[in-house]
Amino acid sequence: MTDAFTTAGFLALSGALLALGLFGILTRRNFILLLVSIEIAVNAAVLNFVYFAAFAPTTAEALNGQSAAIVIVALAATEIAVGLAIVLGLNRLRGSIDVTGATDLRL
Amino acid sequence: MNLVDIAFLLLAAAAVGTALLALLVRELVHTILWVAGFFVVLAALYFLAEATFLGVLQLGVYAGAVTILLLFGVMVTRRSIFRRDAATGIGPTSVALAALVVLLLGAVAWRFGGTGAAGVTAYAPAQLSQALFGTYGPWLLLVGLAMLAALAGAIYLVREGRE
Repeated sequence: MTDAFTTAGFLALSGALLALGLFGILTRRNFILLLVSIEIAVNAAVLNFVYFAAFAPTTAEALNGQSAAIVIVALAATEIAVGLAIVLGLNRLRGSIDVTGATDLRL
Repeated sequence: MNLVDIAFLLLAAAAVGTALLALLVRELVHTILWVAGFFVVLAALYFLAEATFLGVLQLGVYAGAVTILLLFGVMVTRRSIFRRDAATGIGPTSVALAALVVLLLGAVAWRFGGTGAAGVTAYAPAQLSQALFGTYGPWLLLVGLAMLAALAGAIYLVREGRE
């Protein structure tokens, strides 16, 4: 269908999204905001897989990239579920979900 | 520059904008609403790259399930969900610096990215499922195991009667 994509555009986009996610991971103190930042960074990776798959010369190679993207999406959703369980545990234990207070390695 | 390029540029700007707003607004609920918008924009980008199944998956898993899970997390851990947090501590200097970095990255990608292959190959979803359940069957099994472990772990973390 399309014949005018360049790799520059989506590489710049996914680089910018990764930078945003990293910025959030490094600066936010709220656990839920941390999870949101991780999701943004993971989505930058998935975007890369999808667009490199779109540039693949054969259909089989395109399907390789998309299969990897599907596996990543599933694992990221799993990670959110565990992360929210940790949020609930942290909230019950300390009364807040500020990650600077969570210095013990046990919940 | 054809129509697809313009659509890509608009969607890319929307993706960066919604992600930025999600990280900069001071109310947690607004963050989650903006990040839901971000997920929808990414689904549109996947549709643009002919990855229809992944677009649908993105809408269902991220814009649907993950957003609701995050909202649920906010509602459970806060007494009033529309509470403003303290200032983010991000001054105009850091925003300008970040913009500079993004511009530099964009320039580098623009210079060295080069032009891509001839076209985006479309395919039937059945082909994708054959690759997924054939070649990538073991990976799918591993993902299933990881999900099972996550389920058990989440239940263990929030179960009653823990100190």
